[in-house]
Amino acid sequence: MTLALVRRGIVYLLLSIAAFVSIFPFYWMVVGASNTSADIIRGKTSLGSALLTNATAFFTQVDAVRIFWNSGVIAVVATVLTLAISSLAGYGFEMFRSRVRERIFGFLLLLLSVPFAAMMVPLFVMFSQAKLVNTFAAVILPTVASIFIIFYFRQTTKAFPTELRDAAKIDGLKEWQIFLFVYLPVMRSTYAAATIIVFMANWNNYLWPLVVLQTAENKTITLILSGLTAAYTPDYGLILFGTVLATLPTILIFFLLQRRFVEGMLGAVK
Amino acid sequence: MSGLKLRNVKKSFGSVHVIKGVDLDIEDKQFVVFVGPSGCGKSTLLRMIAGLEQISSGDLFIGDKRMNDVDPAQRGIAMVFQSYALYPHMTVRENMGFALRFAGAPKEEIATRVAEAARILELGALLDRKPGQLSGGQRQRVAIGRAIVRHPDVFLFDEPLSNLDAELRVHMRIEIARLHKELNTTIIYVTHDQVEAMTLADKIVVLRDGVIEQAGSPLDLYDDPDNLFVAGFIGSPKMNLLAGTAEAGGIRLADFPEQLVPSPVAVPAGTAVTVGIRPEHFDPTGSAALETTVEIIEHLGGETYAYARGAGSSLLTLATDNNRTLKTGERYQARFNPASLLVFGQDGKRLR
Ligand SMILES: Nc1ncnc2c1ncn2[C@@H]1O[C@H](COP(=O)(O)OP(=O)(O)OP(=O)(O)O)[C@@H](O)[C@H]1O
Ligand SMILES: [Mg+2]
Repeated sequence: MTLALVRRGIVYLLLSIAAFVSIFPFYWMVVGASNTSADIIRGKTSLGSALLTNATAFFTQVDAVRIFWNSGVIAVVATVLTLAISSLAGYGFEMFRSRVRERIFGFLLLLLSVPFAAMMVPLFVMFSQAKLVNTFAAVILPTVASIFIIFYFRQTTKAFPTELRDAAKIDGLKEWQIFLFVYLPVMRSTYAAATIIVFMANWNNYLWPLVVLQTAENKTITLILSGLTAAYTPDYGLILFGTVLATLPTILIFFLLQRRFVEGMLGAVK
Repeated sequence: MSGLKLRNVKKSFGSVHVIKGVDLDIEDKQFVVFVGPSGCGKSTLLRMIAGLEQISSGDLFIGDKRMNDVDPAQRGIAMVFQSYALYPHMTVRENMGFALRFAGAPKEEIATRVAEAARILELGALLDRKPGQLSGGQRQRVAIGRAIVRHPDVFLFDEPLSNLDAELRVHMRIEIARLHKELNTTIIYVTHDQVEAMTLADKIVVLRDGVIEQAGSPLDLYDDPDNLFVAGFIGSPKMNLLAGTAEAGGIRLADFPEQLVPSPVAVPAGTAVTVGIRPEHFDPTGSAALETTVEIIEHLGGETYAYARGAGSSLLTLATDNNRTLKTGERYQARFNPASLLVFGQDGKRLR
């Protein structure tokens, strides 16, 4: 009886610590957006009254509309392309029998272990030869054939009933129509989950855009925020205000797709 | 008009030969059932007819047209799958009209045909539900409805009832028989339930290891099997099969060595044979008899089966003419008429 109580206590304690560790930065970011830089450095953890000052400072120093537009276009286009290409590939890998299929797939998985930093220089050379440096295309293209998302779609496609494809063939659908009118709607949870993952990855992408986007009017919000930190005396109130703004789109998408996201991660085909 | 002809049809997956040369004629409006043990190639053969599997060699004709390389949708067939394969994101109505919509049929025609199928299958109240909101039996009916709507020349069913519980299965079996009468089309039906096969079929095709063991009407296969496999496969309870050796004047069964059983066919002395006799062919008025000891009795009400043993190890299944007074441990004289025996040679072929 008491032993069970103690165990329960320990579980709650550990969970509380975990919750605190994951929630505190978030809390601090929101609170910080309303405090002056000096208060933040002193470690103030309650709401302040500098929200308006921070906002004004942010919007005068940063061309927010332009920068958020840049981030948005890049993230949305990259997400749409990644989902289209990677889900097609995942579908193909799972649906079509071929002797070399597993070998190619294994090779792809092997490529997952190559760190991006190792590919950055060759990629940069390629894009500069293609005269694409400092364009959105240069940010988007390297991400769209995502091996991880291909892998994710292949795994979830295993749960897609092959008899549905057979039935659709007998109903007169061509392969692309099966993909579009049967596979896609049936797998919408998987698409929702992948949307969140891919959108977040692209919205938060830092290293490659930093290399390839060179003029101020092309930069994304992640680049701008890190640029602000690099100032001689960074204004933390302003930075945290910008960070809060930058977090909103991902939060929004997550809440919109949350239910499907959970289904998708569980691999549910309904 | 829309019979089928299969000529030396074969199928291999890589080096695995699954269908090893099938010749089969199916007449227009015939109800044909493929039966056979698991893995014998029933589904594969059906999928080849549907066009879901390439035919490795041989010819398939539907009507008079060679269909080997024709698209599934153009073959005039419709298929009902074991898992129903309904599109989960569409309503029953959309599921049934899907093929027609893709074929570009006008809206009114789709509506008429869906309504017609819904009437035949009593699906009217369910038309706006999604498959997830239906019971197994209802899903099965929708799957059949989806096939009916296309007005196919040939219906293909792959174990359509095996996911249903026993009671529903009997009900749907009768439905399918009624449907065949009403629609008056060719049906090819795969099952490994031999009651389904016996009750539904005009013609049963018994497959084993990718070859046809025998094809014929249910009663032909029952009364007159060509080989041991068909004899053992068709009929429930199963035919009794006893090893024996032919001698001058009869056959000596290994398990009943004291007596000689008169043989219905002439067999050269010394030949090793297998003798088959169906449980219901034991008949108190028969002229020959086997001396047995009853071990187990099953009262089914209408019939009483006894499981009895002679000198050897094999247990005979005997219909006892509903002898309800029989007790276990009793001696029982299993009488039969020698003319009802079937004799098979060493290679399993029937000796006639
Ligand atoms: N795509 C495939 N690749 C390789 N072998 C296959 C393939 N499809 C089927 N087979 C093999 O072909 C044989 C026949 O399979 P099939 O599904 O036709 O059997 P079945 O008679 O329908 O059996 P069941 O009663 O269990 O449904 C099996 O041995 C199976 O392993
Ligand atoms: Mg099968």
